[in-house]
Amino acid sequence: MTIHNLYMFDRHGVLMYYGEWNRKRQSGMTIEEEAKLMYGMLYSIKNFVNKMSPVDVREGFQCYRTSKYALNYFETPSGVKFVMNTDLHSQGVRELLQQINSQIYIEYCVKNPAYKSGETIQCELFKTKLDELVKQSPIFKS
Amino acid sequence: MARPGARVADSKKINSELFTLTYGALVSQLLKDYENAEDVNRQLDRMGYNIGVRIIEDFLARTSTARCTDMRDTAEKIQSAFKMYLGVNPTVTSWSPASDEFSLLFDQNPMTEFVELPDSCLSLKYCNLFCGIIRGACEMVQLEVTSWFVQDSLKGDPTTELRVKFVKKLEDAMPAGED
Amino acid sequence: MAIYSIFILSKSGGLIYQYDHTSIKIEVEKTFTFPLDIQLVEQNKRIVVAFGQKDGINVGHNLLAINGIQLNGTLLDDGREVSPFLADQSNFPLSLKFGRPKLSTNEKIFLASMFYPLFAIASQLSPEIKSSGIEVLEADTFKLHCFQTLTGIKFLIVAEPKQLNVEHLLRRVYELYADFALKNPFYSLEMPIRCEQFESNLQLLLEQEKSGINNV
Repeated sequence: MTIHNLYMFDRHGVLMYYGEWNRKRQSGMTIEEEAKLMYGMLYSIKNFVNKMSPVDVREGFQCYRTSKYALNYFETPSGVKFVMNTDLHSQGVRELLQQINSQIYIEYCVKNPAYKSGETIQCELFKTKLDELVKQSPIFKS
Repeated sequence: MARPGARVADSKKINSELFTLTYGALVSQLLKDYENAEDVNRQLDRMGYNIGVRIIEDFLARTSTARCTDMRDTAEKIQSAFKMYLGVNPTVTSWSPASDEFSLLFDQNPMTEFVELPDSCLSLKYCNLFCGIIRGACEMVQLEVTSWFVQDSLKGDPTTELRVKFVKKLEDAMPAGED
Repeated sequence: MAIYSIFILSKSGGLIYQYDHTSIKIEVEKTFTFPLDIQLVEQNKRIVVAFGQKDGINVGHNLLAINGIQLNGTLLDDGREVSPFLADQSNFPLSLKFGRPKLSTNEKIFLASMFYPLFAIASQLSPEIKSSGIEVLEADTFKLHCFQTLTGIKFLIVAEPKQLNVEHLLRRVYELYADFALKNPFYSLEMPIRCEQFESNLQLLLEQEKSGINNV
């Protein structure tokens, strides 16, 4: 099993953080362009899902799979969006994203007075803790 | 529901002679209407093309085949399609050195079983429909090919030989996520 | 388990066929007194619940009827606007019917054309080489399965999340398309499929799926 990469967006669609572990292909764009395309896609998918759903959605969009990877999506009620690309067999990725939110983002960014929301996350502690958590996850260990 | 049943008829139960007679009537009527074998060849190719762009979906749906990666692959698929739709098994042969061109040899062809070409239309390519079908079918899977008859047993040649040549891959028509 | 609907998209992304198989009607009728304890807003010429979800009337539902008479968008059947009518205490008590709006034909065409670029971008943003576009899209309320043929036609099935065997069903729909649309000489490629035999065989296939005949 593999974790490829992680995107974090704030509620206005600004890329707060991008992390990469096992990415085998680059899109050929700058990370800014890629993030814009990714956010645009997520925005459309959410709209699409809300309309397409035959019954009222609660959480809405959760993930999609292609022939090669799975995109896992988690959004907090405050609008922070976590996107993690993994291989097709990974289980419990949404739980991992919830952990990243509650144990890393909230702890080391939101509670950090030096961090201003809407900015790219520069905090070193956040980066190391995130890396630790991801690498400890059974999804990462193959 | 107009006509019930998933598959209307068993293909083996359709009289193949009625089919070859129908094709014969079509070709001879075209000759009467156009009075020119070249024009008829063109019409047959065009009709074949229209069949090809449709029949390819049937072939893909039934065989669950994967995308061809070289011309040898393509030749094999075309060969199996002849088996599937016409009940004949043409031989694949005469590869060009660059492996981009090959021949299909037909030692039997149900379409021409009763046909004797009159001397007045020796330039008629009686089965030119096949060329169009191959061209149309390949185009739908983003391969541009040309195809033509080299020999025709109806004209006294020892065999019937259909040549297929790769022109290019139609990258623009490639569906997303398939490149 | 249920199959909700089927969409077929042409090579160029246009919706050429759509079929609703199982539809779920979500409607609630309730008598209200003044003042109305549900917040309503006007959106795209509809009256929509914005806040104050209760008794099965959820945020996003539309106001469909008042006292059993269907609304025409934001208008009553006599042409009066709904909003001032609901603000007038003398009209109460009122029986209001709310529900989840069904997709109109235009909305279905719009959704189909929306899926086309999503499919392509998913392939473009892949962290792995040679990835297809979206094959399965999961939400908490449904799963969408997509099968793209080598020729570029897309077959979509919207089903309950737990529905099994959808991949098989997609292949069968492709066969039906090859049989009853393409072999019909009067069907033109890329055009909407209006073939009775295609539709009836599709219904048959879905009925068999429901009764488990295909679950081998």
